[in-house]
Amino acid sequence: MTSMRSIAWVIAAALLAPAGVHAQDKDARDLSGMWIVQDPGSGSWSEWFDNVPKPQVLPEIAADNERIAASERAGNVVNRMPRTAACPVGNLPMMMASSPPLNIVSSRDEVLIGAESNRGRFIYTDGRPHPDVKDPSYVPSGFGHSIGRWEGDTLVVDTIGFAPRVCDSRRPVMLVPGGGRAKDTTHLVERYRLVNADELSVTFTWDDPTVFLAPHTYAYTYKRLAEGIPIENNEELPTGPQPKYITDQVEK
Amino acid sequence: MSRKVLAAVVLLLGCAPAAWAQGGAAAARPDLSGYWELRFDSFNVPAAALTTQAQAAVEARRKKDLDAIRGCVNVGVPALMNDHATLDIRQSGSVIGMVAKAPSSTRYVYIDGRKHPDAEELEGTTNGHSIGRWDGETLLVDTVGFNERGITAIPGGGFRGARSHLSERYQLSADGQHLVVTFTWTDPGVFRRAHSYSFRYYKVGSISEPRIVNCIAGDADRARFLTDAPAPAR
Repeated sequence: MTSMRSIAWVIAAALLAPAGVHAQDKDARDLSGMWIVQDPGSGSWSEWFDNVPKPQVLPEIAADNERIAASERAGNVVNRMPRTAACPVGNLPMMMASSPPLNIVSSRDEVLIGAESNRGRFIYTDGRPHPDVKDPSYVPSGFGHSIGRWEGDTLVVDTIGFAPRVCDSRRPVMLVPGGGRAKDTTHLVERYRLVNADELSVTFTWDDPTVFLAPHTYAYTYKRLAEGIPIENNEELPTGPQPKYITDQVEK
Repeated sequence: MSRKVLAAVVLLLGCAPAAWAQGGAAAARPDLSGYWELRFDSFNVPAAALTTQAQAAVEARRKKDLDAIRGCVNVGVPALMNDHATLDIRQSGSVIGMVAKAPSSTRYVYIDGRKHPDAEELEGTTNGHSIGRWDGETLLVDTVGFNERGITAIPGGGFRGARSHLSERYQLSADGQHLVVTFTWTDPGVFRRAHSYSFRYYKVGSISEPRIVNCIAGDADRARFLTDAPAPAR
């Protein structure tokens, strides 16, 4: 009799256990929601953006950082670069650090990370490889090309294919927090993990032999906005002449 | 006694599939995720019955919409749903994201049981605020909170605004290859009666890059193309 009872429980456990495990995995792997990055109180965008461990960069990058800082100290703080078809879309490091919340939708084959007023990033989790980002048909962007895979409860995202430069006369390069760069030779690995239902941890590791002397790693914590409402920064453009700062050619 | 044990086994066997289904409650629903495109035979769009007031505003709205296109303003709903390029729909257990290639914000449909925010908390957007619920295998979506920015034209006639209300019904075919969406708009200032139309999307295996179109508001050739009256072809 005891053995009959044991068999019954073993069968029951075998049948029910996968449902429980499946549900747990599913919850841990569902990053969906609106998330806001936690600023530890830096007080300003620049301070916040650089409030990470300092990367070890090549001397020419350090010199370029100094040049940009000096230019900004001299008052060059307005972007006068016209936006053309050649201008890449997006800026991943800035988007992931910005205060407007990220809106994540985790589906089986793709994770969307939307930013305010735009479409944001696409992370393919269907097992596809990166395209040949050196092929002329590849269109580089400030978001690069991202693929992800799950390692237990962590989504590991691999990104390459960034644009070599951005259209910005003030900072014509895509800055990485702390003073690095993201460009066509850059490789980023991100690790997304739900610490709990309301806290998302993302660790960023940047690598690029033309920028960093060693991989540059830092982490952000994002808090869930449970009932957040998506908003749009969607001002209409004037129908008359464009403002001068938009139409001016970049100063040589 | 052994009969009781066996009965328990049978009961557990019977309950197990239900428990599995519950564990994957969202998975048991149709998954609308995928790349979807509209083709020449995708449209069933009757003419809308417009109010006199709306008829008088049609030309002004057309020009306003054109300005929005020229200015690369987020197109919003409903234009996002009839984009000529492939639509990307992604579904999780709590929210569905819809991404068009045309300049637009991602559209989010919350399926976690939340309500619309109170009107005073809701700032109008081009996509509005969408909540959805499953009625069997049909997704019913309710959207309010629009503004008058972007492309406001509604297929069949009329345009959306702050008083517009959109109801949608999403039905995935049994083979998962077609998605029929029926849109029903009401707005006492625009429609004399509810205006309904349907799109039938085809599922496609991939989406072309780039995923985000680089819209250039300052492109003079593009602006001229959009705004100058076409010269007759000879």
